[in-house]
Amino acid sequence: MVMGAALAAPASAQVPPGLLDHSRPIQGDAIRVCIDEASVIRDFDIAVAEAIAASLFLEPNFQRAPGGFPINAEGYLEQLEIAMANSCDLLMGVSLLPTSPFPEWATVTRAYASVPFVLGVIDPAYARLGDIPFDKVLGTAIGSTGEWAMITYQLTQPENRRWRRLPYADHELMLRRLSDGSIEGMILWHPSLVQLHDINPDAEAVRLIAFDPMAEPIVRIAGLVSSRDTFLRNQIDLAIDVLVQDGTIADLMDEFQFRGTAGG
Amino acid sequence: MSFTFRTSFLALAAGASLLGTSALAQATREYTPVTDEMILNPPAEDWLMWRGTVDNHGYSQLDILNKDNVGDLELAWAWPMADLGLQETAALVHDGILFLQTNNSIVQALDAVTGDLIWEYRHPLPEISSTWGYQIYQSRRQKNSIALYDDKVYLTTVDAKIVALNAVDGKVAWERQVNDYSKGYSYTVGPLVVNGKIIAATSGCSITGTAGACYITGHDAENGEELWRFNTIDDPNNPLVDASWGDVPPENRWGGTPWATGSYDPRTNLTFWGIGMPAPYAELVRGSGDGDALYTNSTLALDADTGELKWYYQHLPRDNWDLDSPFERVLIDQEIDGEMHHMLVTVAGKNGIAFALDRDTGEYLWSMDTIYQNSVTHIDDDGTVHINEELVPTAIGQQVMICPSVSGGKLWQAASYSPKTEQFYVPLTEACNNVTAIQAEFTAGNATGSMTFGPRVLPEGITEAGLLQSIGISPDTPEDAWKHRQRTSMTSTVLATAGGLVFAGDAGRYIKAFDDESGEVLWEQRLNAPVGGAPTTYAIDGVQYLVVPTGYSAAAASSASMFPEVPLPSGAGNSIFVYKIGSATN
Repeated sequence: MVMGAALAAPASAQVPPGLLDHSRPIQGDAIRVCIDEASVIRDFDIAVAEAIAASLFLEPNFQRAPGGFPINAEGYLEQLEIAMANSCDLLMGVSLLPTSPFPEWATVTRAYASVPFVLGVIDPAYARLGDIPFDKVLGTAIGSTGEWAMITYQLTQPENRRWRRLPYADHELMLRRLSDGSIEGMILWHPSLVQLHDINPDAEAVRLIAFDPMAEPIVRIAGLVSSRDTFLRNQIDLAIDVLVQDGTIADLMDEFQFRGTAGG
Repeated sequence: MSFTFRTSFLALAAGASLLGTSALAQATREYTPVTDEMILNPPAEDWLMWRGTVDNHGYSQLDILNKDNVGDLELAWAWPMADLGLQETAALVHDGILFLQTNNSIVQALDAVTGDLIWEYRHPLPEISSTWGYQIYQSRRQKNSIALYDDKVYLTTVDAKIVALNAVDGKVAWERQVNDYSKGYSYTVGPLVVNGKIIAATSGCSITGTAGACYITGHDAENGEELWRFNTIDDPNNPLVDASWGDVPPENRWGGTPWATGSYDPRTNLTFWGIGMPAPYAELVRGSGDGDALYTNSTLALDADTGELKWYYQHLPRDNWDLDSPFERVLIDQEIDGEMHHMLVTVAGKNGIAFALDRDTGEYLWSMDTIYQNSVTHIDDDGTVHINEELVPTAIGQQVMICPSVSGGKLWQAASYSPKTEQFYVPLTEACNNVTAIQAEFTAGNATGSMTFGPRVLPEGITEAGLLQSIGISPDTPEDAWKHRQRTSMTSTVLATAGGLVFAGDAGRYIKAFDDESGEVLWEQRLNAPVGGAPTTYAIDGVQYLVVPTGYSAAAASSASMFPEVPLPSGAGNSIFVYKIGSATN
């Protein structure tokens, strides 16, 4: 099978056109799958990509996706455009959010998993977010869907019914601040907490409580393909459909101990 | 003292590729070390640092090239740059050698008369890992990343090192790892070297791993040993800093990158640096409430020997729109009625507002709008800046129209001051864009993206994006001297000369020479790509040369939506064109 396309998507403002590969790749039955090596769902994404590729009778050829960008995303879409033009047929692990600024040169597949954010506390007095006094401080994973939900919820409340919130990029640091009492609760993606359990024994003391009265934030995870690859996207959508229906994705989520549901 | 060397071979610095020797110059050269005295009073024939002099004037005392003969400029030679990337370089010249820094930490030494390559240095980067995406991006946009001092060329690299190269052969004399690149730190701009000290400004301070710290550092020029460092977003000596972040602890702060090389006043031994925006951009996200987020968007005056903060002035408090204010700080002295006034003049930030400060105290003197902007409503007589609070996002997803756009207004392209006319020549772009505070999380679980920017559009009633504005400078009040407006945006730094000329380039690929008193275009030449970087000038044997860098320009590409009738080239074309005028005297 020959993957690729005849036309290159238009370059964005920041990408010198000379950096984009306009050739038509010949790669047999391989599909180039790009994975964010720093992602907390790296191994899960690899497993899902292998399942997608197998269902399409393709061999996954894993590549590194661009990573390590500032919280203002400076340079990210430029590097991603280069990667999608030159080395990726499919990028795994993309968030499907109403506010995501998907560029015109890319399109997303259907979601293969929906994984929630969690609210972790140590104080046994808390059973829900609403139990935490307003004079306490909450930590949020910076730039995350959970933080967005928290900010948006707070804006609907009177000022005297809002918690102070601190953004954290380092989840271990946030756990340390939860442990030392600097913050009273932390909102992070469930796979991040699973990772914390693997690397820091202090995570054992964290209890998960309900978001009530705030709605539980959920991230739907999809793939990204070039907008020129409409046939490929349709095939991947069909494959994801099958893998959701036959329980493959759900089994993988259990294996990785992720909360949530298969599909979108 | 001088060093003699033969350019009979290409010096192979670490990582350099082996090139044939046929194209190399075969001559014996002498290289005179650059002394402290030269740094403070550079020979008119040389161009020793980014803006020519430590006061950042961007002004040449040469007048061989002047209003009368600019039409006779002829091309001496041209040279393609060594790599692709955003072209924002400034060629330096000393002792007949032109030192050219290009993207990806490459430095070349060229014969300034003939354009022959003398040596080339390619900085060997560590293996690129998947977490290096931003540094790869940064490496393509390094600008003016070299400085000359003694017998060395100092290079700041994308992997956060200062590298000292021997000026005669390009070999590495020493290198110093200043910051941890694995956390995200890098260098985008070159150092200032004064009094035997290298002063360098860090980039990458919005990457998650750099939480709580962005630095300006001082080093011994002999060996790179660190002498001091100043953190631009955390200052235990000033309690106002914590309060200005709404008591968000330093470990939860980002931003404060100094994006342009600083200036220096030998009279007070102070060095002046501009600082960039806070991150995340929107206060809704960064948690700082209505605090000013010091020292973002400020001018810092630091003791050059110790890094001690003497004063600061914040040009844009409470930034919510990435309208950062890190650009060149220009030091201007004027004697009026027997009294000497020591000013710092700057169009500090993207919103294009010109400021004058007393540079000994930081006292506000005056300000003046240039392009159309709506981010600042007014500035009090004491210099307190009032932002337009109606444009502060109050909800995630809220869209506001900000002028100028995230691309400026003013950007890295530096202004120039002529002591001859006492005018300040500023390259500007009229533009607006929609700004939306979002939580992007483009890839699941990763913090990348908290703002989107719509396409650049012209402000209502304005049809010309490009503006070169001349401001008459005095301690009391600025004068709107002249304006040159044009459809395409200004994309190069400005050069003023004693020959009465002001050189500036644009997205339409034109390099233009303006009359420094009237703004009349006296000469123009259309080149291969948008004019970028910094035009510089030098003289050898009675011939004056003009260096014009061209190439891929983010400033041109991002503003091109405002002048669609002028298509940009799809090729990068990163080059320098060297023009000359005059007769050889020997």
